[in-house]
Amino acid sequence: MKRKSLYFNYSLLLVVLLLAAVGCKKETYSLPIANTTLQNTCIKRTLGPNIVGLNIDFAYAMALAAPGKIVSAQVEASIPGGAKTYMENRSFYTNASGVDVGITVGSPSVNDGAKTTVTFTKDTMAATLRYFYAIPEAARGKSVSFTFTAKSSEGATVSFPMGPYTVAKMDMALNLRMRDGDSSYLSITDMAVYTSANVAAHAGNIDLVYLYRSTTPLIINHALVAPAADPQYLPGVTLPAGVNKTAKIQKVFSLQDFNLAHLQFGIYIDDLDFQKLDMTGQPNFAINLKLDAGAWVETADGKYRAYVYFNSVDNTNKAAVISIKRYVVEGK
Amino acid sequence: MKNFLKISLVLLLVAFIWSGCKKDSPVDEDGLLITTRAECYVSNFELLGTDFVTVRSKPPVIDTSAQTINVEVLFGTDLKNLYPQFSLVTDAKLDPKITGKVDFSDLANPKVYSVISGNRLVKKPYKVTITVQR
Repeated sequence: MKRKSLYFNYSLLLVVLLLAAVGCKKETYSLPIANTTLQNTCIKRTLGPNIVGLNIDFAYAMALAAPGKIVSAQVEASIPGGAKTYMENRSFYTNASGVDVGITVGSPSVNDGAKTTVTFTKDTMAATLRYFYAIPEAARGKSVSFTFTAKSSEGATVSFPMGPYTVAKMDMALNLRMRDGDSSYLSITDMAVYTSANVAAHAGNIDLVYLYRSTTPLIINHALVAPAADPQYLPGVTLPAGVNKTAKIQKVFSLQDFNLAHLQFGIYIDDLDFQKLDMTGQPNFAINLKLDAGAWVETADGKYRAYVYFNSVDNTNKAAVISIKRYVVEGK
Repeated sequence: MKNFLKISLVLLLVAFIWSGCKKDSPVDEDGLLITTRAECYVSNFELLGTDFVTVRSKPPVIDTSAQTINVEVLFGTDLKNLYPQFSLVTDAKLDPKITGKVDFSDLANPKVYSVISGNRLVKKPYKVTITVQR
């Protein structure tokens, strides 16, 4: 029994010693050695859906240690960007006040087909250039990828792939001004507002009529009403010949899409929202709309679905400013 | 020492048996607790549109004796797509359940919702009558 206890004590001592040895082991550490070769990285700065007409914004950073300098930065898109595609020739840093300050490092960018290039004119070893890809019509509904490339004076080349990014199918029209009794005819089909003077030429495309009524006790306020709706929702409105379509409308409140509202809320309506929208049983009028309100709309033929957002309302002048996102429904 | 161990074991066994036989709190078919409360009434009623904004033009008139709820809604309210909300007395529940949008467009035939008391012994039907502001 005594011998057993002795064994146990020795074993315990050994384990403790072993643990102490491991615990005291000094971890080796050496200062990291900076990579002197040309390096690069990239981030995508824009959030939300990629919509034709808007930009996809990237920040491309490149750097090298001695010897040499950066001589050029280039981006190649899988689909050539729109005419407004460009790369900044200034490298930005954020100062102590939080303001981005640009330092010119190269000549203005040059677009050559799908390639955008900035040639450096300053002796620069590190720079972050922003690239703005103007999404072209050709990219609608497709995927687009990018390859960022930097070259050094020593002949080194590095590349950084980005994407693929899906470009949304939807359209967008911003800040359309509507006024009761005048520019009050909204065509989702054309993504346009027509006035009393020019509506006749587009009568078949009018999906909604805007009106404002403040008569008490009935509250209509700002309203979007399909021409074919019950006339009680179009008091005092005489529709031009041929303006007779219906539509399905669903009121929404506080759906402040970032692209339409330009507010701080990170809410984005994307193609998927339109695809999943069920407008079954919805009425053909939406009354009592107000600032920050909106309405989902489906045209009579089911071909278009849209979200109409009220950017501002003016009760005195019976007017409103609206913005629209519109999606073409497949198979219609 | 052995006796002490036996007694402890027996005590433990008794404790287990006692806790195993403890009657569970009663719940109904919805998994809701059945209580002793017999009160059965609607304390408030709300109607929301598809934008989740109220469509009432004024407060509802709830008559707990006649078991009626009269609501006037704003002109132009889409009666086919409304979300009713009932506030009930503590522990009561509603039948039928509200699971989404409700069609109130048949104004001639008001919808009837029943309140069931916490003890599940009292059931009172409430008729919801809607009028549109004119």
